[in-house]
Amino acid sequence: MDLHIKLFGQLIDTAGSKHLTLPYVKDTHELLNLLQEKFPAIYQSKFVVAVNNQVAAENTLITPDSAIALLPPFSGG
Amino acid sequence: MAAHKIKNIFIPGAVTSNFIAESIAKHQSQTRIGGHSIFLGQVRADQINDKTVAAIEYTTYEEMALSTMHKIREDIFEKYPLTCMHVYHSLGVVKAGEISLFVFTSSAHRKPAIDACEEVVERIKKELPVWGKELFEDETYQWKENKNI
Repeated sequence: MDLHIKLFGQLIDTAGSKHLTLPYVKDTHELLNLLQEKFPAIYQSKFVVAVNNQVAAENTLITPDSAIALLPPFSGG
Repeated sequence: MAAHKIKNIFIPGAVTSNFIAESIAKHQSQTRIGGHSIFLGQVRADQINDKTVAAIEYTTYEEMALSTMHKIREDIFEKYPLTCMHVYHSLGVVKAGEISLFVFTSSAHRKPAIDACEEVVERIKKELPVWGKELFEDETYQWKENKNI
């Protein structure tokens, strides 16, 4: 069971891809630890984690069908 | 208050002056409106390290952006006595001098329209997952970051 994580903006440049695949983790805290280990360049970038279309302001549970995305600073308008 | 449907706010390319004029014209039949407020965001030809921004290319996380915009819309209608509110944001390439954001609020009297318009623009800048890539005249680029001004 894997998590498919969407990337946007400059994170696509950093990763060279529009998504990352990581083994399932149960919350965003574990996700960040895993990113630090497997994708240090992404981990060191500025971003917030979104779970099911909401920014995860604190540690947030992840289920196998959660929509996960890493969002760099917004610049719309 | 009637529940609002999730609307698509995104349009490909620039918001044209014709589109804006037609949006205004469509409100002539709504004679309970006494004031409109409009914000237009325009792409600036910023000078960065001797290079000039020629255009901005916008991308979004559409699913999240539309659900966030829906929440903003509901909050705004809850807070202000608006007759209507329209928001359009460009995706793709918008050249310097062209319009990339159009926010249009209307109410019976001016104050709610003006205040709601300002609040919507601020929330869009802060909360909508949209990214602008500043394309320079020499075909290099950098990613834009919104400032709080």
